[in-house]
Amino acid sequence: MKLTKILLAMLLLALLVLPAILPPAMVNAAIQMLIAALFACAFNLLCGQGGMLSFGHAAYFGVGSFATLHAMSALNGQGLLPTPLLPLIGAMGGFICGLCAGWFATKRAGVYFSMITLALAELLHSLAPHLNTLFGGEAGISSMRAPAWGLDFGDATQVYYLTLGWVVLSIALLYAFTLTPMGRLTFALRENGHRLQFLGYNVHRLRVLVFALSAMFAGIAGGLQALNLESANYVLFDMRFSAEVVLNTYIGGVNVFLGPVLGAALMTFFGNAASDLTQSWLLYQGLLFVLVMMFMPSGLAGLVLCWSAQIRRRGWLAMVPAAFSALLSAGLLSLAVVFLIETLQRVFSQDYQALLMADQAWPAISLFGREWLPGALLTWATPLLLGVAGLLVLKLARRQWLRLLDDEPQVSAAALRPRLEGEQP
Amino acid sequence: MNDAILQLRDVHKSFGEAHIIRGAQLELRAGERHAVIGPNGAGKSTLFHLISGQLQPSSGQILLGAEAIQGYSPQHINHLGLSRSFQITNIFPGLSVFENLRIAVMRKHRMQYHFWRSIQRYPEVREQTEQLLEQVRLQDKQTVCAAELSYSEQRALEIGMTLACDPRVILLDEPMAGMSHEETDYALNLIREVTHGRSLLIVEHDMDVVFSLCDRISVLVYGEVIATGTPDQIRADRRVQEAYLGEEQCA
Amino acid sequence: MEFLTVSLLNGVIYGLLLFMVSAGLTLIFGMMGVLNFAHASFYMVGAYLAYTLQKFVGFTTAVLLSTVLVGLLGVIVERFFLRRVHKHGHAHELLLTFGLTFIIAELIKLFYGNFSVEYRVPEFLNFAAFQVFSTDYPFYRLLMGGVSLLVFGLIYLLLTRTRVGIVVRAAIHRPQMAEALGHNVPLVFMAVFGIGAALAGLAGALAGAFYTTNPNMALELGVIVFVVVVVGGLGSMAGAMIASLLIGLISSFAVGVDLSLASLLGLVGAGDWAQQMGGLMTLKVSSVAATIPFALMLLILLIRPSGLMGEKG
Repeated sequence: MKLTKILLAMLLLALLVLPAILPPAMVNAAIQMLIAALFACAFNLLCGQGGMLSFGHAAYFGVGSFATLHAMSALNGQGLLPTPLLPLIGAMGGFICGLCAGWFATKRAGVYFSMITLALAELLHSLAPHLNTLFGGEAGISSMRAPAWGLDFGDATQVYYLTLGWVVLSIALLYAFTLTPMGRLTFALRENGHRLQFLGYNVHRLRVLVFALSAMFAGIAGGLQALNLESANYVLFDMRFSAEVVLNTYIGGVNVFLGPVLGAALMTFFGNAASDLTQSWLLYQGLLFVLVMMFMPSGLAGLVLCWSAQIRRRGWLAMVPAAFSALLSAGLLSLAVVFLIETLQRVFSQDYQALLMADQAWPAISLFGREWLPGALLTWATPLLLGVAGLLVLKLARRQWLRLLDDEPQVSAAALRPRLEGEQP
Repeated sequence: MNDAILQLRDVHKSFGEAHIIRGAQLELRAGERHAVIGPNGAGKSTLFHLISGQLQPSSGQILLGAEAIQGYSPQHINHLGLSRSFQITNIFPGLSVFENLRIAVMRKHRMQYHFWRSIQRYPEVREQTEQLLEQVRLQDKQTVCAAELSYSEQRALEIGMTLACDPRVILLDEPMAGMSHEETDYALNLIREVTHGRSLLIVEHDMDVVFSLCDRISVLVYGEVIATGTPDQIRADRRVQEAYLGEEQCA
Repeated sequence: MEFLTVSLLNGVIYGLLLFMVSAGLTLIFGMMGVLNFAHASFYMVGAYLAYTLQKFVGFTTAVLLSTVLVGLLGVIVERFFLRRVHKHGHAHELLLTFGLTFIIAELIKLFYGNFSVEYRVPEFLNFAAFQVFSTDYPFYRLLMGGVSLLVFGLIYLLLTRTRVGIVVRAAIHRPQMAEALGHNVPLVFMAVFGIGAALAGLAGALAGAFYTTNPNMALELGVIVFVVVVVGGLGSMAGAMIASLLIGLISSFAVGVDLSLASLLGLVGAGDWAQQMGGLMTLKVSSVAATIPFALMLLILLIRPSGLMGEKG
């Protein structure tokens, strides 16, 4: 526990000094990370804690965005509230929308619930471009950040601190919620909603409230996005954003409070960083998600907890071989997959295909600073060999890990033999 | 004068063509321990579902005290003072034993919508939960995840959760199912203790338990109560012997 | 009159196409309790495969071959992916298929680019079947409808008149019992999944030539197919057929209806006022034709969650 607190304090410190260290483009990326982290945390209240998988959560993020933008433009551009307080409007918008949508959606459970949330989001997505006053039609609406409290919010740094403040506050509130009676009941909803009825609780009402709270914090995230981008568009309601938050949350880990925050931060960071390097980032994200679903259902956070539990038991030194093998195999396999996908991507891209001429060898593609010929064996052997090597090291890592998990130390065979009367041990 | 605290008057329940409960008549007197026995498929669990609000009767009346409760939601019936346990353990598997009981306790304190204070700041909840833990003898396991308990410990937890809301009427659906001899004895004593001063309706197959625990017994066969009486009366009843207990062996 | 007839024909045929895709999804949903998000991706893969194969083996062979290949893909998905996460529960399976959809869409974009491809109806099938009032009605549409009907007939006969069909139906309703009786239920699951996928692939191979073939077709069709399955009811073929036709007809007709709330209010003299209000009032039915299926799904989920023909509870 103490270690966690120290780590969190260090993280907070790092976040506070970030704009002083990083270039402005990275500060913008950091703002995106924070917003995605809050969105995922809000989503997890409903999904991981309440056990209700929503496929249309972008709707409440979007409503929060639009509500905040309208508030920014209200009163001839002076804004309904001082700029730093505008996300409150986003919260309200998200909450009200969540209350209405949640009332319908929570009438059913399981897959039906998920489908209702999907349908509601798609409904909004198709209607929005036609409702010009509310959503600005196809072009969307835009506004400007008004100065307030002695700050002009003109540059990214000020927006960053505003976002940081709101995100830290919201996540802290969400955490505090898990400690309250209603928060504990949320977990019970996930575990056994049926039994709660017989213990005297109005389960539907509870579900609606949890839904609305989750939508409220999603609305805050949307509001922060509106302040950051100074615009919003019906595209915010697209399935892609709902999908993204689901992916981020599960990759991070639904059973740990900060899991989704971790997942969203990592995915957004890599998404930003990788989008310059590769066109196939979404494919990698999808692959990672499927791998997590199949082999690591508790997500990255779960993995971290698992390892730290072993470190506490065995000490750092005992972990080194397994950790090394795990990292090595992950590295090799990632390299193999990336190599293959990047090669394929280049070979099948439009520009490349235009270069092809009949009866001539296919020209080389450039990857990792070298030229590779599609016709050459090396181009395909390299990822194959890397992949095989990665799998072998993975097997080794698995064996080392399983050995670490063994509870009792090796018992001598002699001690296990049944004792006869009077025999000396 | 023992008033009836729970009454079933000519209750019918059909699922499409299947007529499961056919005019059940039952009376639970205040403070008594009353067993419902009968062959498999007689409709005992269905009866419990009807009383606790999970199902609505096709016709007939169910009275709790003087109030007709058929058609009420399960939570409403729980508020009126009736609590039930389940034949298939129905706990919160991913939560600790302490948490399971605490969730059950919270209802009585009307705090399900409290989101402004940490639950640690409600000492009365903690005390009551600890009391319950002692009663069901699970203090040593309070931090254990409920899914990891042994079967009989889970059944004890189930009973504990049923009691948490301090009900006046308790329905126990085969609480001893699957228990060994020692576990059954322990559970029997537990039930005897905790139902002191309350009214109990229990479904059980273990005849030793039934005959030693209960004041009166009702026999349910094909959705109808064919006999009601004290254990001796039931043992001697011809119809019950034919339908259920089998011919008496003279010692 | 012409509008009515053409819309009717179009609606029925679109509905039959929807049925080809949703038949498999309904069976899988009813059988495994898993709503296979990736099902519409099978549709998309069928179209793209047929497009690619067409260049080498001609249209008809391409369509048949792509159907088989997509069926194989379905078998692989069930055997190596779904079966692994079965123990974690339905939500997990749903999420896995969700991830697979994502991956398939991205792979398609990788290989074929982020825009539609030139997959067209071949010349020998591109003629008018007959005249409807003043317009030609394309034969290809009738072909799509015909194939769907044929498929429906075959499935119906297979399920109701053969031994295999009885085993499949038993496995759908009571998988554990069927297994206890000695039937190889995992094999049945795999086969049903594969055949369902193959049907979706066939629909894609045929429809992709007529409508557009682009990386978004999975999402566009996917949501509609979910609506069909939910509206029609769990595991009910008849329900899927009825719901498909219903939604097909509604979509076809709505696109041509230029009425709005304002025009309705115009009947009672409040038309001008409504026009001034704008927003929802002047929204034409034709513009929101795409949203009507969702509204229908919401309605059904609230009133009769087991669907039109599904079993209760």
